[in-house]
Amino acid sequence: MTGGARGAADPRHLLAIAALVLGIGAALTRPAPRTSRPARAPRPASIDIAALAAEISREADHVTALELAEWIRERRPGLRVLDVRSEEEYATYHVPSAERLPLESIATLRPRTGETLVLYSEGGAHAAQAWVLLRAAGFERVYFLRGGIIDWVEDVMSPANPDEHVSALSRYFGGAPRAGGAGKGFGGAVPLPTAGNPRPSAAAVERVRRRGC
Amino acid sequence: MSGAVAPLADAGLLGARGSLAAALAIGVAFGWCLERSGLGSARKLVGQFYLTDLAVLKVMFSAIVTAMLGAFWLDLLGVLDLGRVYVPQTWLLPQLVGGAIFGAGLALAGLCPGTSCVAAATGRADGAAVVAGLFAGVLATGAALPSVRAFYESTARGTFTLPDVVRLPYGVVVLAVVVLALGAFAVAERLEAR
Repeated sequence: MTGGARGAADPRHLLAIAALVLGIGAALTRPAPRTSRPARAPRPASIDIAALAAEISREADHVTALELAEWIRERRPGLRVLDVRSEEEYATYHVPSAERLPLESIATLRPRTGETLVLYSEGGAHAAQAWVLLRAAGFERVYFLRGGIIDWVEDVMSPANPDEHVSALSRYFGGAPRAGGAGKGFGGAVPLPTAGNPRPSAAAVERVRRRGC
Repeated sequence: MSGAVAPLADAGLLGARGSLAAALAIGVAFGWCLERSGLGSARKLVGQFYLTDLAVLKVMFSAIVTAMLGAFWLDLLGVLDLGRVYVPQTWLLPQLVGGAIFGAGLALAGLCPGTSCVAAATGRADGAAVVAGLFAGVLATGAALPSVRAFYESTARGTFTLPDVVRLPYGVVVLAVVVLALGAFAVAERLEAR
């Protein structure tokens, strides 16, 4: 590009004109890819309630924390992780690569081809509600994180008795697998009140309170 | 997307070996173009900062415009599925700081990662020294990562592209970048002619 004689048939001028023509053509094209081409125009009047209910029933509406961790680690193309919690909560801790999306601004979100959205909230309820709204607005590939950030912390950042695969996944995100903790399940390492042990620890109370969303 | 044959690896047209071979071929072609553009010379790169030789700007902006127009039109013609092209994610603040460090290193060494490899391959000692520094920097960053992880993962924006920032249709942004590039080329030619 640096050399070349200046003249009437300067190839650089021809290339510049070609680029300009293609650029103008691009600006005039509708619909444009990615940003402004809706995968499907939002049509709130045509919500297929039976189809959405069937998706929820067969659990196709959510991902687990470990599944999401796999997706982030393998850099799944088009993956967007959205945190619908408050700004303070997001600032305190969030899933790596997540961007914050206030629930109020969910109406401004536009579907893009090839994009997969994963929503998460504290425990999962807000994200699940946002899932319904987005599916109704015409978003095709949208999931919510089951158990929210709490499950992420418990299952990815500090998994109890993980196998080698989950340990590696946890360490990838800077987590600390726990050996010898209580079995997996609701509450993780923190025992929940049972008939035999009706007095839960203060930590368990706090955890359940937080989990109540 | 029906009918799209690219990205080749994603559309199943290239296996793992084919993808590696394609990456190697593209890498060699990239290095060859850098060398032929004279970017293996630190003097050429430093000329950019003194506004005496703007080959870097012209080569890089030409590459950006060519790739952008190619990707846009191939997607429109149904050959390429842009939705399946991997877009690196944005972490705003850490990447700004990283960019500043990168720029300082570029001005200091007169070479960037790609051109340092080209310089080393053509037998320049300064190129080899920059490549060694590059690997030392990568290792040091990896070792220091646990202590800077909070910052490293701050201000995540996901896949954050120019159309997202300016909230304009993709095609309009394409035209704006083309106009910006052509304007930059014209200014560069003027500066060089002084």
